Amino acid sequence: MESKEAPKRMDRRKLIRNGMQLSLGLSLAGVAGWSATKSSSDDLVWQLDPFKCVQCGRCATECIVTPSAVKCVHAYALCGYCDLCGGYLKPDPNARTTAAENQLCPTAAIKRKYIEEPYFEYEIDEPLCIGCAKCVAGCTSFGNGSLHLQVRHDLCKNCNECAIARVCPAEAFQRVPASTPYLIKGDFTKGKKG
Amino acid sequence: MNRKLINGLLVLIAIAIVVIITKDFVGNKAGKNTPNPYEYSVDQFRQVDSAKVLYHEVLTFPVGAETLSGIALADSLVIVAAGNQLLHYDRSGKEVFRKTMSDTANCITVDKEKNLWIGMRHQVAQFDLNGNMQQQWESFGERSVLTSLAVSGDKVFVADAGNRVVYQCDRKGNITLKIGEKNEQKGVSGYVIPSPFFDLALDEEGFLWVVNPGKQSLENYNADGSLRTSWGVPGMKLEGFSGCCNPAEIAIMEDNSFVTSEKGMPRIKLYGQHGELKGVIAPPDKFDTDSYYAPDVAVDAEHRVYALDFDRKQVRIFAPK
Ligand code: SF4
Ligand code: SF4
Ligand code: SF4
Repeated sequence: MESKEAPKRMDRRKLIRNGMQLSLGLSLAGVAGWSATKSSSDDLVWQLDPFKCVQCGRCATECIVTPSAVKCVHAYALCGYCDLCGGYLKPDPNARTTAAENQLCPTAAIKRKYIEEPYFEYEIDEPLCIGCAKCVAGCTSFGNGSLHLQVRHDLCKNCNECAIARVCPAEAFQRVPASTPYLIKGDFTKGKKG
Repeated sequence: MNRKLINGLLVLIAIAIVVIITKDFVGNKAGKNTPNPYEYSVDQFRQVDSAKVLYHEVLTFPVGAETLSGIALADSLVIVAAGNQLLHYDRSGKEVFRKTMSDTANCITVDKEKNLWIGMRHQVAQFDLNGNMQQQWESFGERSVLTSLAVSGDKVFVADAGNRVVYQCDRKGNITLKIGEKNEQKGVSGYVIPSPFFDLALDEEGFLWVVNPGKQSLENYNADGSLRTSWGVPGMKLEGFSGCCNPAEIAIMEDNSFVTSEKGMPRIKLYGQHGELKGVIAPPDKFDTDSYYAPDVAVDAEHRVYALDFDRKQVRIFAPK
């Protein structure tokens, strides 16, 4: 019996969260800085809006780079640190463990780490991630939607016509200024539904 | 002659190539003919044996509001809190009353005296049935996110997802007991609340039931706040509660059966008073797929279930077959 406006996030596990948020922020800021040196402030780069993405799998199959320049990123501020994680575990897993048969990710790119009873932290091993969005779908349906995709600008060739944008059924791809190349959930999206 | 023929053939081939490429481009752009090799599917869990579906939908009517908050019943009225709107419908679905409130509702309940109790984000307010405010309590603080209310006699139970606690208050808003805070002596392990879905309800004897959403379980408390019993198993299969924060909504019938409503793969189910699955009230195929919101639920004395569907913005009434 509760209001169904945009989901409101809770101020919980602040220390861990802020630390992780900072590391995500720093790593993306580093990449943003790197990409900015390659482009003038007026340049545009491709990025996808995670709120439009419908997890169709084409980010993994259509990018001209192998594996894809699109990777999963984790907005720790939105994560519930759940034991029963919809993004990490297959639907109805045999057990909530790190055993391969229980993992949803086809490349085992998500690392599950015990924090304290009953909380677990999930980290993306980016070189392993192929941007398939399977975890994003699980997290969006059965979690807080903290896992989402982003074009990583240290990998993206910034094609004139992005091969994924051409086929993205959700029209989630857009050109954004090279100086602010990321659309991270919970960051650019304050107040948006998700 | 031969050269003309060859030129003609070349032109034809060129046209054919252009047609094929264009077709492929347009077809692909429209997203057709490209199945997702990485599809996340819970389809096998959406299928429910029809013999297990004990209810059927008997009436559906639209709610004329954008933001829906919660549903409650009072006599012949279906009461919907919708943002800052208070709406009354008769049992045929006709809107008979509408009033704008001063604040946005998060949750709503009705007590035996037909007072409306509405949880705003941080505060509780009491209204008469016509939406005239009787009293407003002090705020539970900036961290609070009130998600559910229940009233029994002089006790008002308030679920606060933000602080992960249930307050037992008197009718004036004085906190008389905090329930659910971690306390090993009372056998209470604390609430795990990954997102702001945190419902509670009272059974016929007045005992409090609270969903522990991160543990996919329902917990029952004694009057002193100690844990009495609990039930619930995680899982996508019919008897379980799928994913985090489920069951997101509950209601308790007069015979102490439980009505549970889940998000992610929305479904409404009926459990006996000891947590044994009796059957399904509304299977997943009754709802839009992958809904972030579980329908809020209320029940009447005839065991009908009133579901507030947040995606379709409807009240949907299910009755036993
Ligand atoms: S192509 Fe579009 S909808 Fe498909 S996964 Fe990528 S961003 Fe999401
Ligand atoms: S499921 Fe797909 S998108 Fe998610 S981490 Fe694994 S490879 Fe990346
Ligand atoms: S612009 Fe090119 S490299 Fe970058 S995501 Fe699109 S297809 Fe991949």
